[in-house]
Amino acid sequence: MLIQLAGSFVAVIALVALAAWAKIARPMVRLDADRARDLLGEEFPGKPLDDLWVATDGRGALARSGAWALILSEVGDGYVARHIAWDQALAASYCDGVLRIDLADVAAPRAHLALAVWPPQAVR
Amino acid sequence: MDPLHAPFEPVTLAIPFFVLTIILEIGLARFTTVRANYEPRDTLASLAMGLGSNVAGLITGGLAFAATVWVWQHRAFDIPMTAIWAWVLLFFLEDLTYYAFHRLSHERRFWWAAHVNHHSSQHYNLSTALRQTWTGGLAGTWALWLPLAFLGFPPAMLAIQKGVSLVYQFWIHTEAIGRMPRWFEAVFNTPSHHRVHHARNPRYLDSNYAGILIIWDRMFGTFVPELDAEKPRYGIVKNLNNFNILRVAFHEWAGIAKDLAGARSPGEVACYLFGPPGWSPDGSRETSASLKAQWAASQQPPTPPQPGTRS
Repeated sequence: MLIQLAGSFVAVIALVALAAWAKIARPMVRLDADRARDLLGEEFPGKPLDDLWVATDGRGALARSGAWALILSEVGDGYVARHIAWDQALAASYCDGVLRIDLADVAAPRAHLALAVWPPQAVR
Repeated sequence: MDPLHAPFEPVTLAIPFFVLTIILEIGLARFTTVRANYEPRDTLASLAMGLGSNVAGLITGGLAFAATVWVWQHRAFDIPMTAIWAWVLLFFLEDLTYYAFHRLSHERRFWWAAHVNHHSSQHYNLSTALRQTWTGGLAGTWALWLPLAFLGFPPAMLAIQKGVSLVYQFWIHTEAIGRMPRWFEAVFNTPSHHRVHHARNPRYLDSNYAGILIIWDRMFGTFVPELDAEKPRYGIVKNLNNFNILRVAFHEWAGIAKDLAGARSPGEVACYLFGPPGWSPDGSRETSASLKAQWAASQQPPTPPQPGTRS
């Protein structure tokens, strides 16, 4: 049993190394407004976007949809999406150009977005 | 044949096949136009979950096996392991049981908590097949197979057939295979059908629960075909934001515990445990049904103004 487990462990390491060497993850490009809108449209069908802020490093976005803030952040070669109350997004901690949003979700506790300014001027 | 000890374990025998086909899939994706994406951290999480599942199985497997043996000792019929008819009958009954288990594991949160890890990758490749549960034994879904033992199928037969089903389901976790011949797609679970099952597009949610035979989904109304016009997006409705395997294994259990701590009535406790995933007292969270409804509404063309009404 121990030999089997050790063998499996070695096989796991070898396969992960092979996957890393192959470089066949999805190609990731910096998000722009159009791509962010497309992704948010897929994640939140039927929710209109009133306003959109794309992260300065292109690794996430935040949109306002009525009383909701729709959040998109990069993980690996994909994205994680959540929505929270807009007021909660406005009150999120902003320091050194990074917005730290508490998502209150065990599966994704926080999101970090690099934004030039927060809260947005128009809603201050 | 010893009715209590399987002469071979299909999953153990298949491990070299698992490894070689993952190497093949990665190689084909690297050197040809075959479609397969592997993100190394995602692959590590999937394979580590598979390895951990074996260890977890050692801990909880004994209880499940003991229960199976006890029920079989009180069986209704004597079913011989050497009879071909018995294997044919078990093939269908075990696969139907798998359908029931799988549907329960998606539609009720307590069992979803044990199964969600298998769907938590945003990738769909052969390594995803090995992203197996650590908590299935604790969730007790093995009890669904006890009626087969009560009918008289020996525990060794059940173990072999369950293993065969698991091995069958390995190869369908791939984007490298498009569609199988039409007759095969009609009867068997295939990569195309199972891609739909792993998709989180609202159109595809809660469908194609089959193990080996897709006929159960066709019979019970849960079959959804893969559309070329709508590529599956993989993962769960609320994806994880890192590759930590402890979060993969336990995040839904932690979510249940958090919800139970805030429950205000026995009814809420029951619904948090056994309602559909995403249930909440005020309906503020999303279930598969509400997501499908939102999506369906977003697909409706705007209603033209009726004559005589203001626009």
